[in-house]
Amino acid sequence: MVLDTFEALAMLAAMLGILILGTNDLRTNLAFYSMHTTAIAAETAWIGHLTHENHLFWIAGCVFLIKSVSIPYFLKWVIRKVDVGTDTGAFIAAPLSMHLGAFTVGLSYLISKQIPGLVGDADSTLGSTAAMSILFTGVLLMLTRRAAISQIVGFLVLENGIYLFAVTQTHGMPLLVEMGLLLEVLVAVMVAGLLLFNIKKSFEHIDVSQMTELKD
Amino acid sequence: MSSFTPEKVIETVAFLATLFLLPPLLVGVIRKTKARMQNRIGAPYFQPYYDLLKLLNKNETISKHTSWMFRSTAAFNFSFLVVLAFLAPWTSFHPVEINGDLFLILYLFGLCRFFTVLSALDAGSAFGGFGASREVTLALLLEPAVMMCLASLGVVAQTSNLTDVFNYTNVSLSTQPALWFLAGMGLFLASLVELSRMPADDPTTHLELTMVHEAMILENSAANLALTEYSHCLKILILLGISCQCLLHACPYFWHTTALIRGGASVLAIVMMAAFVALIESVAVKLRWTKLPEFIAYSVAMSIFCVLIALGRNL
Amino acid sequence: MNDLVWIFVLPALLALFSYIIRDIRLTRKMVPLVIWFQLFVAAFLLIPVLHGQVVRMDLTPGLAIDKLGAYFVLLTTFVVACCITHADYFFAVHERSELIPAQHLRIFYGCVNLFLTAMTLVFFCDSLGYLWIAIEATTLSSAPLVYFERNKNALEATWKYLIICSVGIAFALLGTVFVFAASQRGNCPSLNISELTANAKLLNFPLLQLGFIFSLLGYGTKAGIFPLHSWLPDAHSEAPAPASAMLSGALLNCALFGIWKVSNILLAAQPNSHTYHLVALLGTVTVFAASLLLLRQHSFKRLWAYSSIENVGLMLFAIGFGSGPLFFLQALNHSLAKVALFLLTGNITQAAGTKKLSKLHGVIEDSPVWAGLLALAALAVAGAPPFGAFVAEMSMLTLSLNDQRLYLAFFMLVALAISFIAICTHVGRVIFGAAKQGFVAWRPKQASIIPAMLVICTLILGLTLKTDTWTMIPR
Repeated sequence: MVLDTFEALAMLAAMLGILILGTNDLRTNLAFYSMHTTAIAAETAWIGHLTHENHLFWIAGCVFLIKSVSIPYFLKWVIRKVDVGTDTGAFIAAPLSMHLGAFTVGLSYLISKQIPGLVGDADSTLGSTAAMSILFTGVLLMLTRRAAISQIVGFLVLENGIYLFAVTQTHGMPLLVEMGLLLEVLVAVMVAGLLLFNIKKSFEHIDVSQMTELKD
Repeated sequence: MSSFTPEKVIETVAFLATLFLLPPLLVGVIRKTKARMQNRIGAPYFQPYYDLLKLLNKNETISKHTSWMFRSTAAFNFSFLVVLAFLAPWTSFHPVEINGDLFLILYLFGLCRFFTVLSALDAGSAFGGFGASREVTLALLLEPAVMMCLASLGVVAQTSNLTDVFNYTNVSLSTQPALWFLAGMGLFLASLVELSRMPADDPTTHLELTMVHEAMILENSAANLALTEYSHCLKILILLGISCQCLLHACPYFWHTTALIRGGASVLAIVMMAAFVALIESVAVKLRWTKLPEFIAYSVAMSIFCVLIALGRNL
Repeated sequence: MNDLVWIFVLPALLALFSYIIRDIRLTRKMVPLVIWFQLFVAAFLLIPVLHGQVVRMDLTPGLAIDKLGAYFVLLTTFVVACCITHADYFFAVHERSELIPAQHLRIFYGCVNLFLTAMTLVFFCDSLGYLWIAIEATTLSSAPLVYFERNKNALEATWKYLIICSVGIAFALLGTVFVFAASQRGNCPSLNISELTANAKLLNFPLLQLGFIFSLLGYGTKAGIFPLHSWLPDAHSEAPAPASAMLSGALLNCALFGIWKVSNILLAAQPNSHTYHLVALLGTVTVFAASLLLLRQHSFKRLWAYSSIENVGLMLFAIGFGSGPLFFLQALNHSLAKVALFLLTGNITQAAGTKKLSKLHGVIEDSPVWAGLLALAALAVAGAPPFGAFVAEMSMLTLSLNDQRLYLAFFMLVALAISFIAICTHVGRVIFGAAKQGFVAWRPKQASIIPAMLVICTLILGLTLKTDTWTMIPR
């Protein structure tokens, strides 16, 4: 299995995403998320270089600026203000969820092989494997963590997976759509971050497993 | 042994020199780097040699409660580690072609640990007891990481003889830079714990909170201590050497170059990696005991990635 | 850029002004008037496509509107106008008991206008990418509406709403990517819905099916179909009454419109696929589950939220048979009746000071007008005869019987019966009985105007519609 740069970058992004799962420390999670998104931006730029589509370079730049720099910076500010310190509990221990995440790579590979028509040109199964495993990582992160910030990070990783899927399978969606997407994600994170302040003020904690007042 | 060609003689001499003379220098490099990071001058590079010689001249103090196990452990460990140095692929030049089987190597390390633990318990002190229990726990957690990293390399090479895996001629392994790199990272993280470096254990303090390895060797003195310290230096050499070899194999340049450049690069890489360990020690905090399994989990995750690559190599 | 862009300009400007203007009373009086004006502007600009002179009006590449979309735009603007008019009286009563900070109201009105802009944009989208952006924009602009009360429950409801809907819409994005990939494999790469529907036979079918399923699940989360509805009762019950009415009456239609557009592509590719049968099945399951959940309700507003889920199931059922007019009819009836219900519920809960069904009784003694309107609106939403929803539901059952899918019709009938009984029981207990708690005497005289108007509209619809017009499947 010789990896060319295209596949190597995608799998690197998947691996960094899985490393996010390994710790409960919120600042470490954000650092890994930053590196993971940088790998995805590099992958986009590389694909732009391979297919000579210039709009991919713009998208790569914007992904790097918005998702790799601004959003982690904003979330770090939120963490400092909310003073949640580092960790919270989790439903599965962090190391176990990281190992589960590593196994989802194998699972995603099997799924990619099953979907006909997914392997488009020149055997890009690894691209969709990486994207799907990042998707699963995001879902794992959202389901097993209790801090509200971990849910935001999980959502961001999920979006990254879907974006990587788009970029490796379809070589990017039209420029305006991608820009709109990035803007939406930024606004969503900001709204969620602002809500987080109020959650901390009202509930005195940001533990979503204890926000169960509204029930039938 | 093969014929006495000049290259072979030079190789043997270089190997023996590196094996016996380099280890204390590594410890010297680590200490010097840490000192410079802390803005002090620090002891000279060759200080560990002087320390070892000083220890050999001292009188020994042995507790009355110990048995033959305590007195002979230092010698046993030293001999096992020398045998390991001949078997394990810690450098690119080997004078003898011995079958360095993966399991033999891992269990020789285990045998060293076995004797160390027993000698720690032998002295009957509280320090020895808890140091031994912590050491054994860490070894339990680390074993899957080290085993899977090396085994995935073996699976791709279709052999468990690590000498064949690491000798820059295996065709199927020459096209797997990702596998080598991940195995190197996993083994490096595992070495940090195995060698009782930060963030797993603080090698400089003798506080109850931070001791794992130091607790076990606390009772030794004079010649025994010299031999134990020297064995620890040998262990640093071998473990860092294996990680360096993995990382060197990941660069395609080293597969097609001369033996001289490879050998020089190997030794230089080990020294640089020692300095890197010192950098990590200066920057990282020692983890709380209950957080240590999370750190080790990163090493295990790397090894799981290696396994996945090894299983998927034909794709 | 042609004249159609004016449809967006007015609400966008209004959003800006309602945030900037210092005098909140001016905003509260002015915004409803401007939005009624916006309704006339939209109707005027969309006349060509409403009368059938052109099939589709283009705004820019990627934004175009057809007849169904135009009807929905008018319905949405009408719903927002009604709710915002009533909101003035709602806030007047609210301020008698608890003063509202002006900043909160400014954010409310600003977000309502942004919400209207985003919803109008949804119906104009001819590109799957823009559709996604517009629907996510509706989520983001309606979150502050849910958060209006700013207490713990509202916070929890807003958090759940934001996270669950964003994740759902992210899966819809995955569906969009699959459809785009299908078009690329078929050598006609495009995100444009009209082009995709025209080239549907060329698309890679397995990828298209996968894309459709993910889009259904994704936009379905936003619409509130059965397993993914957990955010809906919380969000709709914690928001203030005018906001709940807008969410139920207008937002759900947008999400279902997204499903409708994607299902058109699937239908054009292969008329009778198993994946397409999934839609009607999902609709039936949603109706059945919602009707069972209606039986045990403890809060008045949650009751109507579950009724919204049931109606979403009915609309999904209509989409599942490929009938656009029927989909719109059901949406129209539901919106009219549900808005009336939520506004009346807002009045009653404000007067009584509680949302709990166990404590609300005897509305008929307090205000016979409200009780009467409540009864009529409840019958309308449950699908009783003289009202419009009855025609829609009859048509749907006829369609499913014609299509030989008897089991769907059976479950639908049972579900509709159960929900009818549940709604009538709960509303009956609210209206009749001895009033155990006191009702606040003061209320603005105009509080019943809008609900009355809506009930009369739905009655007129019911009396003037003929069943057979709506059962034709235009395919």
